[in-house]
Amino acid sequence: MKNYDIHQHVQGKSIFIDDMRLPAGTLHAEIFTSNIAHGIITSIDTSAALASKGVVDIFSASDIPGENQVGGMIKDESLFAESEVHYVGQPILLVVAESKLEARKALSKIKIEYDKLKPILNPREAFIKGSLIAPPVTFELGNISAVWDECDFIEEGTVESGGQEHLYLETQAAAAIPHEGEKIKVYSSTQAPTATQRVVAGILGIPMNKVEVDVLRLGGGFGGKEDQASPFAAMAALAANKLNKPVKLVLNRQDDIRITGKRHPYSSDFKIGFSHEGKILAYEVKFFQNAGAAADLSMAVLERTLFHCTNSYFIPNVKATGISCKTNVPPNTAFRGFGGPQAMFVIESAIKKISEKLDVPAYMIQQKNLLREGDEFPYGQRAENCNAKKSWNEALSKFKYEERLQSINQFNLENKFLKKGIAVMPICFGISFTSTFMNQASALVHIYTDGSIGISTAAVEMGQGVNTKIRQIAAKIFSVDISIVKIESTNTTRNANSSPTAASSGADLNGKATELACLNIKERLLNSAKEILNADLSEIKIENGSIFVNEEKKLDWEELISKSFLKRVNLSSHAYYATPKIYFDKSKSKGNAFAYHVYGTAVVETTLDCLRGTYKINSVKAVHDFGESFSKTIDLGQAEGAIIQGIGWMTMEEICHDLNGRLLSNALSTYKIPDIHFTPDEFEVHFLEGAKNPMGIFNSKAIGEPPFMYGIGAYFAILDSMKAHNKNLDYDFKAPMTPERVLLTLSKNIKTKIHK
Amino acid sequence: MSKKKGISRRNFIKGVGTGVVGSYVVVPALNNKAAKNLSDNEELQLKEGWQVLSLKVNGKKIITKVKPNTLLVDLLRNELQLTGTKVVCNQGECGGCTIILDGKPVYSCQMLALDANGKEVTTIEGLLLGEELHPLQQAFVDEDGLQCGFCTPGQIMAAYGLLLKYPDPTDEQILNGMSGNLCRCAAYPKIIKSVKAAASRIK
Repeated sequence: MKNYDIHQHVQGKSIFIDDMRLPAGTLHAEIFTSNIAHGIITSIDTSAALASKGVVDIFSASDIPGENQVGGMIKDESLFAESEVHYVGQPILLVVAESKLEARKALSKIKIEYDKLKPILNPREAFIKGSLIAPPVTFELGNISAVWDECDFIEEGTVESGGQEHLYLETQAAAAIPHEGEKIKVYSSTQAPTATQRVVAGILGIPMNKVEVDVLRLGGGFGGKEDQASPFAAMAALAANKLNKPVKLVLNRQDDIRITGKRHPYSSDFKIGFSHEGKILAYEVKFFQNAGAAADLSMAVLERTLFHCTNSYFIPNVKATGISCKTNVPPNTAFRGFGGPQAMFVIESAIKKISEKLDVPAYMIQQKNLLREGDEFPYGQRAENCNAKKSWNEALSKFKYEERLQSINQFNLENKFLKKGIAVMPICFGISFTSTFMNQASALVHIYTDGSIGISTAAVEMGQGVNTKIRQIAAKIFSVDISIVKIESTNTTRNANSSPTAASSGADLNGKATELACLNIKERLLNSAKEILNADLSEIKIENGSIFVNEEKKLDWEELISKSFLKRVNLSSHAYYATPKIYFDKSKSKGNAFAYHVYGTAVVETTLDCLRGTYKINSVKAVHDFGESFSKTIDLGQAEGAIIQGIGWMTMEEICHDLNGRLLSNALSTYKIPDIHFTPDEFEVHFLEGAKNPMGIFNSKAIGEPPFMYGIGAYFAILDSMKAHNKNLDYDFKAPMTPERVLLTLSKNIKTKIHK
Repeated sequence: MSKKKGISRRNFIKGVGTGVVGSYVVVPALNNKAAKNLSDNEELQLKEGWQVLSLKVNGKKIITKVKPNTLLVDLLRNELQLTGTKVVCNQGECGGCTIILDGKPVYSCQMLALDANGKEVTTIEGLLLGEELHPLQQAFVDEDGLQCGFCTPGQIMAAYGLLLKYPDPTDEQILNGMSGNLCRCAAYPKIIKSVKAAASRIK
């Protein structure tokens, strides 16, 4: 099934916020931000900016009628800085002008002075200074302190993973239009319409029922618009509300990269105990998360790090501690994987260390420790319908792992400066928001009198194909042609109190709600048909847009609908879905946190040019657990895209700050994301057979995030290439493995040799 | 769908502007202003050095006045309301604003509108063959060469430029021709398939 909007997309007819035709007189806003990482504002002079051509007004914290607060989980983040600034890019003022250019010109006329304070940029430094977002969180399984003595070997290490810029191609954007009765309608590029509605209402000091947030589609989100779209919507709404005119705020790329948070960088310490056969007995890990200057979603991200600290392995004794450290960079936020990738990189590094100690290939250690049915996770849940071994075995045999290994070894014998590497990357990712209450969704289904169907859900379409899946669900339940099913924009007036479209759960939650709503109407229609056709309920069937009695066609879909309408049958339904059976006790860090887990295994191969440090990802092949996919094209696209994005995080995407906390990688010229050349030459994602998932819609599984983590395999494949060049390579577990890092690591080792 | 497979190379190029020769559009906003006797606005325009610009966009002749620092992409999006062309990075790194200028793909965010004077521009909106999708557009549909759709107009225009230059491109030519266009959803495997499918259809 194709993307719902594909015909519009290819014609350039799909409307994103910056493409909207807004009413005449719409004003344009630009944000004036802090250019220091930490300090106290001593003076601001906006007189020249106010006098600048086209400028209508300038807004600051003192113009906010409600509360100057945008924090969701913890109320620690202001919309505009009041006196202290905490990061470069923190919004201070909003300039509103008749044109975007005039607003931008005025920015340069604002004079500001600060008393500078020393910024904290490193999470470990923040920890030492006691600068934390919240108290540390610990997950524990077994009794770690009792087993260290039983371990044949213990290895320790430090692992660093970098941030990642979302780089959704559509920047943060909002347009606010004032309506009568102090109401406001906000078009926002948000993954979380309800959160945006709540923030706008809070800033304006009006009840939520006076704020309507509407989302047609996003030009990419990846988590970057889960919590961080709301401030921009609130800014546009504030100006629109004050000036009683429509206001548009579309960030330019450099501002977007500078102002918004990214994937959390982590610095982690691990200690791992194992037997001489490579069985892992104990794993202790401490994650120092660089949260940035405010909480945002950091505590939830940190929690997921702890949930996934053992990836797809069973380790009987675990102690994992997460520390969310407050620093002077923009508040870091959700990004595909949500803390999971950072956790998995650490355990995979620890396994690499074991393999070096025991001098056996890493895949043997991985294989030996894979999760089995019924194994307990560090949070108390047990693996059910566990596909870890199944996907592993299928991947290794399908992709002829042993043969590949041999041919790679042969290649490496024959080549001095080109070296190949290979790595296996299994994944296990829990599906559900880890905050249990968020696992709810609603759908509103209307059948109009001509038989056409309109559906509103809480799901936001951002390219992941959720609208396509919801159409498929409705078309399947009613057994009508999909062309008569339309998906409406996501709107807080039609679907209230919604969770963000995040945690890979959009299609699961909203799909289930849609299923329930459709079933409600279908039941009414069958009863209506029974009366219209004077037949027994058991004899009636709706199929392919027709109504049959004992296999004999009696009515068209359209006839059934129009006749039912005249019989006063309710042709609309609102339904609500909440994931059953899940709970999590935060005080004990135990519970059935996830509806189910997604498994899979990927094999990654690379070739490294040891003289240049450049590498090519030759092959990525995965056997992935999609459940029973009912939208294979969409799911495959999600898997491929996630893998490439994951490889990008591990290899080329490097966030750099200077010592003053100024972002150096602030544009596409200095921050590189995978381009078309980066596509692996061999790229295969296979559907794991027999992976029925009773907890998912039509037995499917969520797809958005899990495949991202196959990208970690690229790091270890490159490392394998490097070790093929120098078996005794001295290196750090530090990502991204940019060509520069490869070269520096290789050359560092060469120097050591010469000086000896 | 199958009938489009046989589309000829002549038809492929026909989308570029030879379609509606002779039609004439004057941007309405400026037309109204021009009707007034040297208004404040005109005086300002004089002061700011506004220039007359004449170009062909999607086969239609356009005569308008622009400030000399107007970017081509802003002219297309704001004045002509051809919003298929996207602004993504503002610095010629991502290809979201790719259009065809006199047969070659260019980044319209890196060009002044005045530099298109006397030239012929094709945007994504100009690709349709009447009511039908251009074979390239159809190929992106058939091969699912997109996810969120934001980079898609740029991708298709880059592919269009590529196929004008290399009607039967090698794999390497496809990668090089498309490498200036980023897709954060990373739909690259399917974008490659889309371009290949289009090439084989247009042959």
